[in-house]
Amino acid sequence: MFLSATVIDRQRKTRRDGSFGYVVPALVLISLFFVVPVLMLLMRSVLEPVTGLQNYAELLGSTTYLRIFMNTFIVAGLVTAVSVSIGYPVAWLLAIMPERWSRLVLAIIILSMWTNLLARTYAWMVLLQRTGVVNKTLMSLGIIDQPLALVNNLVGVTIGMTYIMLPFVILPLIGVIKSIDPSVLRAAALCGANKRQSFVRVLFPLSLPGIAAGALMVFVMSLGYYVTPALLGGTSNMMLAELVAQFVQSLVDWGMGGAAALILLIVTLVLYAVQLKFFNPSRAR
Amino acid sequence: MKHMIIAVLTTAFGFAGQASAADMVFTSWGGTTQDAQKQYWADPFTSTGSTNVTQDGPTDYGKLKAMVESNNVAWDVVDVEGDYAVQAGKAGLLEKLDFSVIDKTKLDPRFVTDYSVGSFYYSFVIGCNKNAVNACPKTWADLFDSKKFPGKRSFYKWSAPGVIEAALLADGVAANKLYPLDLDRAFKKLDTIKSDIVWWDNGAQSQQLLASAETPFGSFWNGRLTALAKTGVSVETSWTNNITAADALVVPKGTKNKDAAMKFIANATSNKAQADFAATTGYAPINVDSPKLMDAELRKSLPDVQADTQVNADMAYWAARRDEIGKRWYAWQAK
Repeated sequence: MFLSATVIDRQRKTRRDGSFGYVVPALVLISLFFVVPVLMLLMRSVLEPVTGLQNYAELLGSTTYLRIFMNTFIVAGLVTAVSVSIGYPVAWLLAIMPERWSRLVLAIIILSMWTNLLARTYAWMVLLQRTGVVNKTLMSLGIIDQPLALVNNLVGVTIGMTYIMLPFVILPLIGVIKSIDPSVLRAAALCGANKRQSFVRVLFPLSLPGIAAGALMVFVMSLGYYVTPALLGGTSNMMLAELVAQFVQSLVDWGMGGAAALILLIVTLVLYAVQLKFFNPSRAR
Repeated sequence: MKHMIIAVLTTAFGFAGQASAADMVFTSWGGTTQDAQKQYWADPFTSTGSTNVTQDGPTDYGKLKAMVESNNVAWDVVDVEGDYAVQAGKAGLLEKLDFSVIDKTKLDPRFVTDYSVGSFYYSFVIGCNKNAVNACPKTWADLFDSKKFPGKRSFYKWSAPGVIEAALLADGVAANKLYPLDLDRAFKKLDTIKSDIVWWDNGAQSQQLLASAETPFGSFWNGRLTALAKTGVSVETSWTNNITAADALVVPKGTKNKDAAMKFIANATSNKAQADFAATTGYAPINVDSPKLMDAELRKSLPDVQADTQVNADMAYWAARRDEIGKRWYAWQAK
């Protein structure tokens, strides 16, 4: 037992050392176009308009800005929860479908990712507005009397962003669900578990790493999202990326913009670290 | 060091080296307005001289600042908002205009500074989709009255002259007593209709909101209503207390095509170029000789003949307080 663990460790280490050279281009790219600009931004946030932490004090001391931080996390959390609950059954279905069909469905899902983001967002705007297709249909069917407020609010943002984020939940989950050994489920059945029990006690726990990976990706991507919340949301559920855009483009206050961006980055990294600690996908597997 | 890092950033943004030596770049806000600017200003200029004018956009004050600071200016003439032009001139981001090339005696003096001349001027007016409602709001007071005119209404999202003035006029402030702006009073008035406001982010969106009757009325740029009416939407425009503001043409500091930029501006503000642009867009010309060249019937839909109850947004006031009002504006919106 001990021996085999050591051997595996050594194999892992060798693999890591051998492949290091190939990641150099990626590292150079990231440091040049990500790390350097981020450091620059950090400098600006403590140097403009004068040297000091006044930008951070202003951001963290104002209830308005704190509310925007809160909004950002609420929206990202909501989008993650909805994406996972809708995406999980889809991924499961795709994993157990005959290959021919699952390829087709997968192609449809991926095709939506290749369509222009702005076009998709405007399409949602047209669908969801008070005079839009969804409201008109519901009203003509007599389900509602008054148009529902589906856009320019939290509902609109959640619908639009969930739609964009779904593939990022579904794709990692398919892999994880497929890798679950079917004989485990047979064993559960043999031991007398009904369908529900074998899902709750066997399949679901085994697919948790996939859920964690997908959820983390969606959450982190949602935190920094700009176009969709700006167009489908109202100003009262503004997210942080929009605030940064206001500072950078409209108010031309790069100190504040940089500070807001860095606070978001730091909080995201902390969350990522916490999640890794409690939900390490490789350890769970 | 600072410059080097910014240079890296500008390259990353992808706006370095877009124009070759014989080219110059004109940047504006896109949409039907920039189409007309290209057709009546840039293309004729390209065909008469040795300079080829390339279009870019949309205007982005963050990008403009990054270009000037990194001394890597890819935009030669930029269409900006009037209050920004005044502020950016003071902040050292712009070249002084060469009035030996640009004939400012023919330009509306309201829109001329050392660093900028008017591009065109427009009015915030009350627009209404007649097919969607029984009665259209006629005054700012109507538009701010959600009892008399229930439903959603649309306003310009960004901090700029227009909405705050409208709120004060709606609250009964006399047009000649607007400045200095009573911000407390304006935001209090805006609070009364805040839940009924749908903000428009850009001109195309404002047209979409009105045409679909998502917001059957609101405050719009007059030219966008003219364009919408041409597509067959039955639009009513109320010019009562229309609030004028102007766009301005500026030259970012450090441009490599300064001479061409000055000539371009001289050309774009000439009587013919301004008249042609105005005829297509519904925005008013800033060259005082242009109206003579225009069809009398057509001129009726332009802001410059709606002078009776017209209110001029005070660009100098806004330029001095752009940051202060902006911060408060966005904080209020986010509440």
